[in-house]
Parts: sequence; structure tokens; C-alpha cells
Amino acid sequence: MFERIDRLIRWLAAVMAILGGIALIAVILSTVASVSGRALLFIGLGPIRGDFELVELGTGFAVFAFLPWTQINRQHASVEILTMHMGGVINRLIDLVGDGLMFAIAVLLAWKHWQGTLDKLAYGETTFVIQYPLWWAYASGLVGAFGFVLISFWCVILSIRAFVTGRDQVHGEIVH
Amino acid sequence: MTNIDIALLSFPVLLALIFLRIPIGLAMLITGIGGSYFINGSFLMIFAQLKNLTWGTFSGYSLSIIPLFLIMGQFATLGGMSQSLFKAAETWLGHRKGGVAMAAVGACAGFGAICGSSLATAATMGQVALPELRRYGYSGELATGALAAGGTLGILIPPSVILVIYAILTEQNIAKLFVAAFIPGVLAAIGYMIAIAIYVRLKPGSAGQRERASYPERFQSLLAVWPVLIVFIAVVGGIYGGIFTPTEAAAIGAFGTGVIALMNGGLTRSSLKLSILTTASATGMIFLIVFGAGVYNAFLALSQLPQTAAAYVGSQGFNPWLVMVCVLLLYLVFGCVMDSLSMILLTVPIFFPIMSALDFGLTPEEFALWFGIIVLIVVEVGLITPPVGMNLFVINAMAKDTPLSATYRGVFPFVLTDVIRVAILTMFPAITLVAVRLLY
Amino acid sequence: QEVTLRMHQFLPPQANVPAGVLIPWAEKIGTESGGRIKVEVFSAMSLGGTPPQLMDQARDGVVDIVWTLPGYTPGRFPRAEVFELPFMMTNAEATSRAYWDLFKSDMEMQDFKGIKILATWVHGPGVIHAKGEGVRKLEDMQGKKLRGPTRVINGLLAELGAEPIGMPVPAIPEALSKGVIDGTVIPWEVTPALRIAELVNTHTEFSGDTALYTAAFVLAMNQAKYDSLPDDLKKVIDDNTGAEFSAFAGKTQAAFDAPSRKIAEATDNDIVILDEAEVARWHEVADKVVDNWYGEMEAKGIDGKALRAKAQELITKYTK
Ligand code: NA
Ligand code: NA
Repeated sequence: MFERIDRLIRWLAAVMAILGGIALIAVILSTVASVSGRALLFIGLGPIRGDFELVELGTGFAVFAFLPWTQINRQHASVEILTMHMGGVINRLIDLVGDGLMFAIAVLLAWKHWQGTLDKLAYGETTFVIQYPLWWAYASGLVGAFGFVLISFWCVILSIRAFVTGRDQVHGEIVH
Repeated sequence: MTNIDIALLSFPVLLALIFLRIPIGLAMLITGIGGSYFINGSFLMIFAQLKNLTWGTFSGYSLSIIPLFLIMGQFATLGGMSQSLFKAAETWLGHRKGGVAMAAVGACAGFGAICGSSLATAATMGQVALPELRRYGYSGELATGALAAGGTLGILIPPSVILVIYAILTEQNIAKLFVAAFIPGVLAAIGYMIAIAIYVRLKPGSAGQRERASYPERFQSLLAVWPVLIVFIAVVGGIYGGIFTPTEAAAIGAFGTGVIALMNGGLTRSSLKLSILTTASATGMIFLIVFGAGVYNAFLALSQLPQTAAAYVGSQGFNPWLVMVCVLLLYLVFGCVMDSLSMILLTVPIFFPIMSALDFGLTPEEFALWFGIIVLIVVEVGLITPPVGMNLFVINAMAKDTPLSATYRGVFPFVLTDVIRVAILTMFPAITLVAVRLLY
Repeated sequence: QEVTLRMHQFLPPQANVPAGVLIPWAEKIGTESGGRIKVEVFSAMSLGGTPPQLMDQARDGVVDIVWTLPGYTPGRFPRAEVFELPFMMTNAEATSRAYWDLFKSDMEMQDFKGIKILATWVHGPGVIHAKGEGVRKLEDMQGKKLRGPTRVINGLLAELGAEPIGMPVPAIPEALSKGVIDGTVIPWEVTPALRIAELVNTHTEFSGDTALYTAAFVLAMNQAKYDSLPDDLKKVIDDNTGAEFSAFAGKTQAAFDAPSRKIAEATDNDIVILDEAEVARWHEVADKVVDNWYGEMEAKGIDGKALRAKAQELITKYTK
């Protein structure tokens, strides 16, 4: 049962990361198309109007969607210069505290970003050039923000389990 | 407790969290949020700020260059380009002691000439060079240290995002600043290569030995890098020819390398998936730190610690050179925990008027150029000084078997050359200004 | 002191508006309150966020006072756009006074409900700055990649045949030097800070009584913070804001135009002044922009036509 949930959570994180990657590829393709159009103004083509805004939309969605994957694979930068000399129990405790804090921050960010999305919806704000509603953009970030809450919650469970059983978790490994 | 006390107290708290292996981005977020709470007596300000700050940071146009260059590096590797590029570099330089690392620094300098961002240079050249350095038996310490330092050439050698921001803050000519940056940038690359040469002689086990390549072999290796050259020339030509922004250049580069990888058969469904996942974990890591730094820097600005410190230094009637040394030391200290862009935005508006009022025997414009280049170098040193050095994280994230502490040790000789270079350029402003004097 | 007010704005402190308007205002509030109010000015977005987020920062109480453009948040303050419509503004002082009157009558309880607006002003006449031969007639706009500041002005540029490209102000010099844009529309006042005269070759001005465009600013305060002040301190704020301060701010900002224009005059750059016959052709295109705007306002339930007529009437009244 535990293993099955773990696989499902990792699969979810991977799916979100790949959705983010697809957005990134869309950013690449739209930018290439826009630059080509701009270079070919003389034959009547043109840049994609609002290309900067598309880049921002795509990157914003992607970075949010990447966070769960970074978290589940323990890829966040940290300094192990002191802790490497400490015992397993202390390190498992630090893992637990770190994951608890990350979970708290994930909840805070998701909650505040949700409020931000509601604000943008209420104000009817749009972007400058394309004038797509800004709340769409914010809402796209909610996918990753909520995913980050779920995945960092699961990381707390993993850390509790490691602390209780005394068995170390796998660190820094990407599981496919 | 005053706001300044709170800010001063936040340094040991941040360092304690970081050294207890709390993820660095998380540690800065917590310290920044906590600091804001203690200054305001409530979470109202910081919570309201978080409604927009996350999206604002993650969707920033200039930061979008980071995932784009990361995925470009992935595609370049899939297309076999990193192998052939490095083969070319090391057939020319690799037989020297530490030659492959020198080739990596040289390649960083070349890349720096097309890219305005240190992080992107570190990320791209790290993807390309790190596997090769490890293949030739370079220690993780030396390999990651050299690449993290080499990455700073992205900002030292023009074009440079930081210089553009400095030019705007101080109302200076961007082109002249770029010209002034050139000689110090080349000196940086030479300094790094000297550091490598000394390093491998002091620690003989840290680098493998390679046989001297014959000249036919060398020229043949150049033939194999033509796809890389095409992409690089398209990117270089695009930027200097006035077709692309740096972000657009990154997108074009990613597209070009992707197409080449597709043609070479390196880009398949599963390898694309792997590329995306690798890009995702590195991007998530970097953006959490950028975001954390943003929150922490906003708290520092709120406390007015940087401004107060600057005002104090300026009000004491010191010798100008002493003030200069103090300012540079302050930058180095702040650079240990802050990111370069925020540091420039925070301090230049305060330091520049103070420093301009002091007499260094230069015209106002020459002073502005010289000061800008020195500040550029010291904030760039911040990218490779522990504990918070973005380039260190970017490179270390790619070296799965190298602990961050090893990267910290490995970058030390390079930081040392940076400090020596800053001292020389500070003592002899003419080195920085000679190119501008000749050309204008 | 009793009260600390944090002001946040997007330009470096030595730029014209912070140095000439905002920081002196902050000092004046300090003096006139007998030191009981301290206004701390945080420049260049040092407290975090992006310029479009400033309005939210004031509304939500991240900071107490912001200087920003309603146009940075397109769609949110539609009525303020009326002053950005083409060939509306005459001079910055008169238009700023008109803006304050119209704000009191048509915006305070509508668009700006929940935010305490302290002042409303516009910058001096907008000028087209472009590389090469630049803009000498309407046709020259065709296909030009121009950076515009707000939604309305981007729409105007598109209607005139240009390709509007959106980017923040500090990105302009690099974009110009790399050819990402061919030019930009901004008032003279901003050009020295952005080194525009070094980066372009031609500056285009318009003859006649009205300028091609202007952009609308506000000095906005957190409503709850204002309400929490004791009456005597509210009075200090009230005495130094409103119609007179708005007019002063517009006049002061526009006064920086002339010395900045001198810098361009000292170079080899051409300063083109379109004659009345040429400007008349631009008016025809501009009318389409105005009609589009009427349609957009109608969709939001706003009588755009009446609003523009009222704004024009006020501007005429204050223009000497
Ligand atoms: Na560079
Ligand atoms: Na550092």
C-alpha cells in the first residue's frame, strides 16, 4: 500500500514536471516563430504580438510545475558540510524538520497565490499587449502550487517513516 | 531592538539554518519572512506581498533564460555536441597539466561573449564540460570549482546584464562600460587558468593526464564541432547583429540544439522526457533560491541595514582609498549571502553618490566606469563565495557524486585570484580605462 | 515620531520624479507634521515585486504609499485611460488638474474604491524616439518595432501601423542597442537616464495644441493606514495632496523635458516636428483608436464618450 502511494506521488510529480517541460518547449517554439517573423518583416511576416507575455506565461507555469519534482527528488541546494559528521538520528531529525518547514512554506505559498489569483480575477486585470486575463496566468501556477503542497506533505510522511524506522531515505536520486 | 539589530541578528540565524542542511532557498524564505514579522510586529506585510511575489518571480522575462539554457545544454548533450566540443577543446589544450579544466574555462569565456548571465553560462558550460572533466579523472572538487568560477565569465565578459543595470542606475554609457569590462574579463580567464595550473601541481591526484594530440587529430576534432559552431554563430550573430534578446537567443539555441539532436537520433521520446525532468529539478532548485533571496533581500532593504551601513562609511571623512576598500569588503561580505542583482539594485543607488564625491584623481565619467567594473567583479565573486553562491549550486546540482563542501573547497583558489584581480584593478584604474581611452 | 509611512516606487532615487517630487514631498510631510510623520522612501523596487504589483502593494498594505501608473494594471482602472487617449493632453499642469477633477467626480468611488489616491498627474508630451531615419510621416510607422508604456498607447501604436512591444522601462536601452526594438515612445524627461539620445537618431514631435499621448500616474495610499491617522496628521497629508499637489507634480515632471531635449539637440540627432498638415493625418487614425476605446468602455458599462468629452472640457478650462 505504502509503496503504491509512493509510486503514485512520484508519478504525479513527474507528470507535472513534464507538463512544465511542454510549456517550456512551447515557449521555445513561439519565440523562434516570433524572432523568425520579426526577421522576415520585409516579406510581410511579423513577430507574434505579445511574444514577451507568452514567454512569461509559459515560464511562470513551468517553474511552479517543476517545484514538486525538485522536492520529491531532494534536489534543493543545501549545505552538508557540518551535518555529514553528525549521526544518522540527528540527520533524520533534520530531514524531518526541513521537510516540515518546506511543507509549511508550500502551504503558505499556495494559499497566498490562491488569494492573488482571486484578486486578479476580481480586478479584471489583463496583460499589456495580448490582453489575456492575468488571472488565467496566476491560475496556471496553482497547478504546481497545489502539487507542491501535496508532494511536500508526502515528503514529511517519508521523513517521519525514516525517523521512526531508523532507515535512511534515498537522497538525490531521480526515480523514473 | 531596532530594525538594524533585527537585520544583523538575521545573519547568524540564516547561517545556522543553512549549516544545519535546511535547503538554502527555504532558509532565506524563513529568515526573510521571520525578519519581516519582527520589524512589522505582524505577518500582514509579507503575507500580502506573497500574493503576487511568487508569480512575479517565476514568470520574470529575464529569468526565463535559466530553464531555456538548461534545456539547451540537455539537448546539446543528447546531440553528442558536448562530447565533440570538448574533444576539440582538449585536443588543443588537454595535454597540459590541468588542460581540460583550462579548456573548460576558455569555453566559458567564449560562451560569456554571447551570454549576459553568469548563471546561464555556468549552467550551460556545466552541462557540457562536467561529464568530460570527470571522464578525464578530474576530481569533483576541481571540476566543479573551475566551472563555477568559469561561469562568472558570463557576466565579466560583455554583454552583461549587471552592467546594463549599473549603466541605468548611474546614467552611464552602456557601450563604454562594455568596452571597459573587456580587459578585466580576459584577465579573469587568464587568472583562472593560472589557478588551475598551480592547483594541479599542488594536488597532483586531482587531474588526469592526457597525451598530446597530433595536429591532424586537432583539426579533425574541429570538424566534428560544426553543429555547435552553427548554433553558437547563430546565437552570437543574432545578439550582436541585433536580432535577439538574451532570452530569445536562449530559445533559438535550445531550438537549434534540439533540431540537431533530433537529426543525430539522440532526441527520442524517452531522452526528451529525461531532459525535461533534469531541467525541471535544476530549475526548481534555482528558482526557490532566487525567490528566497528576493524575500530575504526585501527584508534587508526594509530594515535599512545596507543603507545605514553605506551612510556610516560615507560620513566619517575617511581617506577615499580606505572607503573604497571598506565598500569592496562590504560587497564581499554581503556577497556571501546575497545575490548579485539584488545587491546592485540595493547598494549602487546609495554607494555611487557617496563614492563619486570622493577624489580618486579621475574624471567623473572615468570614475563611474572604473567603479562599475570593480563593483561588477566583487558582486560576481559573491556568486562563487560560500555559503550562498548561485554558481556553486548550479554546478554542484549537476555533479551528483560531489558534496557541496567539496565544491566550496574547489572554488577557493579561484576566489583567491578574484581577490588579487580586484586589488590590482583597484590600485591601477588605468588597466580598466585604457581600452575606453583608446577607442573614444 | 509617531507614524512611519513607507513609500515604494520603481525608479532609482536620483531620477527626476523621485528627486524632484517624491522625496521633497516626503520631507515636507515630515517637517509640517513637526516630525510626527516619517515617510521612508524605498526606491527601485527595493522592497520586492515588480512595478505592476505596486498598486496591489498599496491596496494590501505591503507598503503605505506607492507611486505608479494605473496603466501598469491594464483593465483595472479603465477610466484613467481617458487621459492617455491620443491628442488629449495640452500641457502637463493643466491636464493633471483636469485629471484630479475627473478623478474626484468619476473615479474615486468607482475604479479606485478601496485605495486612497493622494495625487493624479501626467507627464509632458510623449515623443517618438527611433533609430535611423525615424518617423517623419505616418507611413514611417509601418512595421516599426516600438515600445509603448501602457495598453492604450500600445493600441495606438498598433493602429498607426507599428508593432508594439511590451517591456519594462529599464529594458529599453538594451533592447534598442540590440535592435529588438526600433524605437520607443517616452517623454523627453526620461531620455537622459535611459541614454536614449545615444541609442537613436531621430526624435519626432507633433505641432499643434495637443500631444500624441501622455501617461497617467497616481500617488496612492493604503486606505486603512490613512484612516488610522489622527485628524491632525490626516490634515497634514490632505494639505499636501490633491489638486494643487497634482498640478505641481505634473508641472515639475514636465519641467525636466526642456533640459533633456537640450542633450539631444547637442548631438547629431534630428529633431523632427511634424507640421499641421501631417499631424491632421495622424488625427484621422487616432479617431479610430478613440472609437475602439468607446467600444471597450461600453463593454464595461462605462459611457466613454461622455467621459472623454468631460475630460476635454476640463483640460481646455485649465489650459491657459
Ligand atoms: Na557576458
Ligand atoms: Na556568495
